[in-house]
Amino acid sequence: MSTWLPNDDRPGADSDAGSLRSRAWDRFRFARQTYSRVVPEVGPVAYLFIAPFFILFTLFLAFPIAYTLYLSFFRYEGVSGDRWFWVDLGPIFVEVPQIAELQFVGFGNYVRILGDGLFWQSMFNTTYILAIQVPIMIGLALALAIALNASFLRFKGFFRTAIAIPVSANIVAYSTVFLLLFNEQFGLVNYALATIGAEPIAWLRSEFWARKTIIAAVTWRWTGYNMIILLAGLQNIPQQLYEAAEIDGASRIEKFRYVTLPQLKPVLLFVVVLSTIGTFKLFAEPYVITGGGPTNATITIVQYIYREAFQSWNLGYASALTVIFVAIVSVISVIQIRIGGDN
Amino acid sequence: MREQRRKDAVWRFLTYTFVLTATVVMLVPLYWMVVAASLPQELFIEFPPRLYPGTSFFENFTALQERANFVRSIGNSVFIAVVYTVISILLCSMAGFAFAKYEFRFKEPIFYVILATLVLPIQLLVIPLFLMMSQIGWTDTFRAIILPWLANPIGIFLMRQNMQSIPDALLESARMDGATEFQLFYRIALPAMRSSVAALAIILFLFQWDLFLYPLVILEDAANYTIPVALAGLEGTQRVYYDQIMVATSLAIIPLAILFLFLQKQFVSGILAGSLKE
Repeated sequence: MSTWLPNDDRPGADSDAGSLRSRAWDRFRFARQTYSRVVPEVGPVAYLFIAPFFILFTLFLAFPIAYTLYLSFFRYEGVSGDRWFWVDLGPIFVEVPQIAELQFVGFGNYVRILGDGLFWQSMFNTTYILAIQVPIMIGLALALAIALNASFLRFKGFFRTAIAIPVSANIVAYSTVFLLLFNEQFGLVNYALATIGAEPIAWLRSEFWARKTIIAAVTWRWTGYNMIILLAGLQNIPQQLYEAAEIDGASRIEKFRYVTLPQLKPVLLFVVVLSTIGTFKLFAEPYVITGGGPTNATITIVQYIYREAFQSWNLGYASALTVIFVAIVSVISVIQIRIGGDN
Repeated sequence: MREQRRKDAVWRFLTYTFVLTATVVMLVPLYWMVVAASLPQELFIEFPPRLYPGTSFFENFTALQERANFVRSIGNSVFIAVVYTVISILLCSMAGFAFAKYEFRFKEPIFYVILATLVLPIQLLVIPLFLMMSQIGWTDTFRAIILPWLANPIGIFLMRQNMQSIPDALLESARMDGATEFQLFYRIALPAMRSSVAALAIILFLFQWDLFLYPLVILEDAANYTIPVALAGLEGTQRVYYDQIMVATSLAIIPLAILFLFLQKQFVSGILAGSLKE
């Protein structure tokens, strides 16, 4: 901490008392003492610095997390009117407004989840969309990143901007555009199909195609985002590795297989985890484009939680669903990191 | 050698074709959105669709305004996102500064508790937040939309990471000159963090800008709607006016896309900084 202070433990530093030099040393020692006393004194200031963040964090993040867990063991029976309850903190007695009228049900909500067909349907839908969408998107993003990283490519800036521009598109706004692009009667996609002589597709009326529409929309919005991260990863690979591979006569595919992939692995893994969690949280796209239909073929977990909570007002049950959902997301990301870390 | 050159040429051709196709696919929905916004409703639902802009953009816009006052929603969204971004940056960088540059009790445990919440999908706290806001009568207010997300774990993590690079000696010499601790923060630390602050601003702004589920639950009066909630409302009406909806989506997307063109560097560093998350 004090690299600029001379070392006062030198032999003889204390012996020549009274001399000018010694007084200078005294002053240094004094400065150092006050300095070392200053460090712990900074403590309270540090608490002031973190206080605003920490108070908001506790109120709006830590407490709601705990409260979700708590709620998941209750049945919600409406907002409590003027109910208050008392918390006895020894010397002080605090009056706390009761947040909601609740009926304790133990593990009842969790048991109900096991037999809830619509929950499993939403799990299946989300997994189905995820299993197709994430590999396609990451594959495209990687291919684009490699192409944009090629030394011969010109107008790089233009291409990168154009491909990344969906990053700035508002989620609900772009979903609405896709709703119309995939309109059965007048949508641009069916028009494009007609020009190549294909039959129009009932995108939003068939279970199969409705899911594909959601996949197309999400891929459009997030490919550029992942490309940017992967491109940064590619640019961090030392050029010498490629030169060495070239000297060994490696082909393009071999260079990709033995230099790019292993070097890019941590970034690639990160992007996969991020996209998996992102797609798991899917809500706005199915809400806007398909409304969860047809016949619940595209209802996602978050959408189901939303319906249970704010349309059926089963807030306790929806909290249990949230807890399960968060647990699943955490397990998935841990598994993905493990798998990626082993090889 | 000639064989190699031919191969290279084929490779180049394939690369250009691929990149060009991707570019077209990314831009066509945006182009078509603007075209659709400028067509009268009759032309819009025609098949084959028209592929070049019409002249009805302002008529559609006026009709939209009369029906839903979308400009007000844009104003709401901009106001909420800007206020949120500014306050959150201040809170996150203050706390990040303390975690990077001070020693105090419980420093490590507090930081790890905050860090642990990074992995949670925090948007899912709608249920308890809705109940809390109903209880204190804050539903349908902007503060209910802004306050819960101010203490952003990504923000504190990012600022702590970057503030660590500020040399202690610099702070120490300022202290010698009699600067208060708070002056150290806003005169020395914050200005040195300009690029990190810009990146964080992008992350926070886009987070609030795209927030949908939570405002959908909290906001009731149409006058308070943010862009996503207003758009979802437009679509839910009985007769759907596609031309007007496309005006609304254009107004929601185009300004931010233009901002993206100008602030591309900051957007990219925001995305990369946000990706430090794990």
